[in-house]
Amino acid sequence: MRFIFLTILTAIVVVFLNPITPFWVVMIGIAVLSALVYPNGIGGFLGGGLGMGLTWLGQSIYLGITSASSLPDRMGELMGLGSGMTLVAVTGIIGFILGAFSGLTGVLFRDLLQKSPKNVYKG
Amino acid sequence: MKYFSFFLVLAITIALAMLVSRPIGQIPPLAPLLDPNHGFWQNTLSEDQLAEEEINIENLSAPVEVVFDKNLIPHIFAQNELDLYRAQGYVTAQHRLWQMEFQTMAAAGRVSEIVGPIALELDRMTRRKGLAFGAEVGLKYIEENDPETLRLVEAYTDGVNQYISQLSDAKLPVEYKILNYRPEPWSAYKSLLLLKYMSDMLVGDRDLEYSNLRKLLGDSKLNKLFPDFPTENDPVIEAEKVWDFTPIPVNKPDSVTYPDDALLLDPLSQPVEGTGSNNWAVAGKKTQNGNPILANDPHLSLNLPSLWYSMQLTTPTYSVKGATLPGALGVISGFNQDIAWGVTNATKDARDWYKITFQDESRKAYKFGDEWRATDFRIEAIKVKGQDTFIDTVVYTHHGPVVYDKSFRSERQDVNFALKWTVHMGSNEQRTFIQMNKAKDYADYNEALDFYTSPAQNFVFASKSGDIGMRIQGKFPLKWEGQGKFFMDGADPKMEWQGFIPNAHNPATLNPERGFVSSANQHPVDRSYPYYVFDNSYEHYRNRRLNRKLREMNQITVEDMKMLQFDDYNLQAAEGLPVLIKLLGTHKTESPDAEKYLNELKSWDYFADPNQKGQTLYAIWSAETFESIWREFMNGAPVVRPNSYQTVELLNKSPKDSIFDVKSQEGIQTAEYHVKAGFDSMLVAMKKWEAEEGDYTWANFKKTTIQHLVPNFKSFSASNVYTGGGSGMLNATGSRHGASWRMVVELGPEIQAFGVYPGGQSGNPGSRFYANFIPIWANGEYLSFNLRSIENQEDVLFKTILK
Repeated sequence: MRFIFLTILTAIVVVFLNPITPFWVVMIGIAVLSALVYPNGIGGFLGGGLGMGLTWLGQSIYLGITSASSLPDRMGELMGLGSGMTLVAVTGIIGFILGAFSGLTGVLFRDLLQKSPKNVYKG
Repeated sequence: MKYFSFFLVLAITIALAMLVSRPIGQIPPLAPLLDPNHGFWQNTLSEDQLAEEEINIENLSAPVEVVFDKNLIPHIFAQNELDLYRAQGYVTAQHRLWQMEFQTMAAAGRVSEIVGPIALELDRMTRRKGLAFGAEVGLKYIEENDPETLRLVEAYTDGVNQYISQLSDAKLPVEYKILNYRPEPWSAYKSLLLLKYMSDMLVGDRDLEYSNLRKLLGDSKLNKLFPDFPTENDPVIEAEKVWDFTPIPVNKPDSVTYPDDALLLDPLSQPVEGTGSNNWAVAGKKTQNGNPILANDPHLSLNLPSLWYSMQLTTPTYSVKGATLPGALGVISGFNQDIAWGVTNATKDARDWYKITFQDESRKAYKFGDEWRATDFRIEAIKVKGQDTFIDTVVYTHHGPVVYDKSFRSERQDVNFALKWTVHMGSNEQRTFIQMNKAKDYADYNEALDFYTSPAQNFVFASKSGDIGMRIQGKFPLKWEGQGKFFMDGADPKMEWQGFIPNAHNPATLNPERGFVSSANQHPVDRSYPYYVFDNSYEHYRNRRLNRKLREMNQITVEDMKMLQFDDYNLQAAEGLPVLIKLLGTHKTESPDAEKYLNELKSWDYFADPNQKGQTLYAIWSAETFESIWREFMNGAPVVRPNSYQTVELLNKSPKDSIFDVKSQEGIQTAEYHVKAGFDSMLVAMKKWEAEEGDYTWANFKKTTIQHLVPNFKSFSASNVYTGGGSGMLNATGSRHGASWRMVVELGPEIQAFGVYPGGQSGNPGSRFYANFIPIWANGEYLSFNLRSIENQEDVLFKTILK
């Protein structure tokens, strides 16, 4: 549950915070969220990763489709990646990696503050 | 353990964040580039998707309305000129900021700052030619002499800078994102620098090559191979023109001695072949509607973003429309409600070289007459991306900067030459365009031109009141015959320029009897013009084709003029091919390939249309033949070879001339030898081409490419554009050069105007307006360029109010 919750919250943060701040502020935001929601390690990793990765993926697909621009293909060729679709994937993967490690960092930070061992049977 | 895993993961996270926000070699920082909210994905949006109804900009005296038509051409409606130019700066920066800045960085010799050490040699060269120095002198000149123009240039600058200060990361042009830098503030100096950049692009000299030629050939042979006037001279100003002024006397020194060293320096970079232009105007008596029609198509490197940006600029007193240069004020080639004007390059050896004799190694003084004059040292600090700043010291004499010296490209340490160039002298070209934009008649046009110095242009003119005119305007030195053709001795005061030709003596014509005026970079005048005229690069084909057509045409319509701009007739081939075929005789008649190609050539109508094969064959055959003729000639010190016109004339009239003899071959060779050798080379080249590419129709062979300003950004370029034409034809579209802007204006009661350029209004490669004019241009079609009123609601893409 917490993992899904984190995924959704991360996506919301990316959608609303990212347009006004650089990506590294978003990473800090995800870490904070993840510490607050506090899923387990894998949940934090996947929640942050999927939240940011899928949002970046979705945003780039959305921009590519609504603009019908040739730029993704031109950029793909320029960067030696072939087509714009590859760039969509690369954007998603980079978003995932950045979000995932931010999420995991948040969980591990909360671990530090946790006095007693975490109840593994909850959430 | 908890601490360990936390700090480990934290470290990995921070390392990742740093890794993706830093450049790795030539790869830009990945996350800022790919972040869909800030990176290149934001540049996929076209301007209409980002349209704003209102934008706040400061220092306006009244709101300015900007109407973008369906082609994203802005029509600026302002209450006064200060507001107008502030808005022009703002709007131009919205669409072309990266290009404006990049071009001025190139002109200032600052490309290394952006791309690193690879551009250092280029930057040193640019600075040693003194372009930035020229712009500094120009700015000082305007500050001292023309505060009104300065105020307007500063308003434009303020407009650009307000855009830069409002610019979000998301909207930053994609080239900045890829090359990882940000725009710096614009300045009046940069606007002036841009006009110097145009001079550099358009002005060349061949003093070095001619010095070598003189040494190799001697004067008489030189004059035979490189005559000052061609046999069939069809100059810009009609040959019948009677010069109604008393020329200023120019004194040729009794004895002239030239520096006679063996010159092994590399020549300065020259305007690329294919740089040139056409313009003309026909009088009402030759047109169907009785109105003058004016046409202009400047030929330049074909680049994206295009050099040109279309605009209409309107105040309550005038409305002007046409092609602007991003970074410069006003319209450069265009029309208003009363007149139209256009430009072609009017090169006339504007650069000369003087040999400098330094007193000693310190180079603090140089010889001039009987004295030693002090030099100036200009320190050029060239910032280099990823490296230490490079310091270059350039010595300035009263002639100009010493371009090549012991620290720069010196094969010979004792040879130092100073470059004398009108670009280094204070001038105010910007004023010309500001005044021309609101000119009402021939007198206003002439007054505007009096401020114009460099690069010299043939300014064509037509007015609604029925006048047509042409004036060759630039700052032309007074020279004795032969002066400046070769390197000169800078220590000899007799070698100095003796002043400048007064504007009133510059060649000009108004309403000539023949009913048209025209220019195509040919000789400016007939031999009767009382001042010395010389340049190596005069055109010999486009001008004759153009004037022949204009002489025979009557009842001319705008459509006729459009067709003439798109005319693919190859006059050189029409004159040269029969000569080649005659000299070839029965050579290789047994080869089926040779027969096929010869038949294609013989049935060719000399039009270099995109689907023609004859043009491809002629292009290869003639090039190989000329190459064979001049191979030995070109072997050794840098020289230029006689032009194609002269070569064809030699082939035709004196095929047995000793010039055709190849010293390294036994026996005596004549023209036939080279024509056959050229034909054999063509067979080899065609065999290879047919095996590798197959299709050898002209468009596929010449592969017209409109290249992004950063040549490495291949995917931002448009390659293999299907279009005809080529060098020496009115449609001068070669593989990398051609008509960079085409305009036809009929000056009737309602002005009818048409224009197009190979690019698009947007400088953003992601925009749908980036290259949308290219297919229209390639087909010889046009966009309507009629003046718009503020009330007109047709074809509006969006409107923005600046206030």
